[in-house]
Amino acid sequence: MANVIAASKLTLAYDNGRKEIIKNASFNVRKGEFVFITGPSGSGKSTLLKALYGALRPKEGTLTVGGLDMGRIGRGKLQELRTHLGIIFQDYKLINEWTVEKNVVLPLIIAGYSIDIQQTQAKKLLRHVKLTEQADRYPLELSGGEQQRVGVARALSKNPFLILADEPTGNLDEYSSNVIWDLMENACDQLGSTVVVVTHRIPTMFNIPYRHFIIESKGIYEVR
Amino acid sequence: MKSVKDHLMFLLPLLAILLGVEFFLVFDRVTKNYEEKLRQSYSILVVSEKVMSPKDFRRIDPHIARTDPIDKKTIAKEIARGMQNAADAEILAALPHFYNLHLDRYLSRSDVEKIRKKLLAVKGIKKVETFGENHRAKYNLFIFLKIIFWSFAGLMSLVSIFLVMKQMEVWQLAHRERMQIMEIFGAPMLLRSGVLFRMGIVDALLATGIAVSLFAVLRYYYAPISGIEILMDRQALLFEPRDAAILAGIALAIVIVAVLNVAIKSRERQE
Repeated sequence: MANVIAASKLTLAYDNGRKEIIKNASFNVRKGEFVFITGPSGSGKSTLLKALYGALRPKEGTLTVGGLDMGRIGRGKLQELRTHLGIIFQDYKLINEWTVEKNVVLPLIIAGYSIDIQQTQAKKLLRHVKLTEQADRYPLELSGGEQQRVGVARALSKNPFLILADEPTGNLDEYSSNVIWDLMENACDQLGSTVVVVTHRIPTMFNIPYRHFIIESKGIYEVR
Repeated sequence: MKSVKDHLMFLLPLLAILLGVEFFLVFDRVTKNYEEKLRQSYSILVVSEKVMSPKDFRRIDPHIARTDPIDKKTIAKEIARGMQNAADAEILAALPHFYNLHLDRYLSRSDVEKIRKKLLAVKGIKKVETFGENHRAKYNLFIFLKIIFWSFAGLMSLVSIFLVMKQMEVWQLAHRERMQIMEIFGAPMLLRSGVLFRMGIVDALLATGIAVSLFAVLRYYYAPISGIEILMDRQALLFEPRDAAILAGIALAIVIVAVLNVAIKSRERQE
């Protein structure tokens, strides 16, 4: 099966390359896989995710996402790649001036879909994340769990080939966390998206096969 | 209410810049018009012993645009009127040749003096008289007022540009997060800054509309009854339709620069 992500001798660093976070790491993620990446705080989990959506360029080695070399990718290609990704953040990153419905269809707005398609897809996704009643409300009027469900719905709205999630349940209670994990399982299992989740802790009840990488001492190791 | 304030904070400095530009255009037109009037009424009288052609004069100085020979008979008649036995033919024979020279544009006093010296240096030219000195003081006052006004308009525009820049910082704070989120999801710059462009273009059109209306009212309603000769005669000096295009162009250019500046500053910095 084709690799969606391929890293070879990858080194990631901040401060113009002076502060290395990940060094000489190699790993692959294949299409349709569900991957957890864990590690202690400050180990470089979020840094790796940033590199996967192109906010951080590799210092050394190669990193390809969807076949594109993230070390050499230009702005235009990166924009294009990002329209095919679903990204979920711990702090939700919702646009507070926009309604829940408009936030959900942001990737469709960017892709230039018609209003009709946007509305149809928004209804479907909001039903899916159980937020139909909140469609016309604004993010700050929702609870943290609800806001994250909006974030997940937004990530799924354009059927991305790759979903990247940074601590998606970090701030949530158990009920909301379970809802989020169910949605992510479905995205992988039923929609065929590849999912990479950075988290402190893998959920105890997880119903689909997954791979588990751990980041430690600047290296990335597969433990399952 | 916040939205109205947001618009006003950008619209007012923009309007001040456009008014400065329009005043500049008006003063420029009025000055040129006045110079043209002076040029038309300005002439140099030359008295020469020999016959000279327009080409001869142009060779002396290229600013001499037109040469009108003065009919000697008229002068002879004027002289003969006061003399009992003088014959016109004798007077005519004794008279030198008179020429009225017109310049291609209104020249400074020193330039006119240079022409006068050049003419006097020509063999055969006996006398050169320049007229128009009575306009000079008025013209100099006019130029002085123009410089004062341009300085004031320039200062006003500079202050307004600073206000526009301040407003851009406010926009940046207000819109940075939204623009960054949109960028993460792959939105191109034009889409990310679409709201700002829309807001800016509305303000640009409003500011242009206000400035244009103001000067159109001055031209069509105030100028005819103003009692100011130059405005009553030449109402078009106050406003020309192409001014609207110039003002709209400047306003839109300011909006584009302002919005792109915010969009670029809000762009994700790749590490």
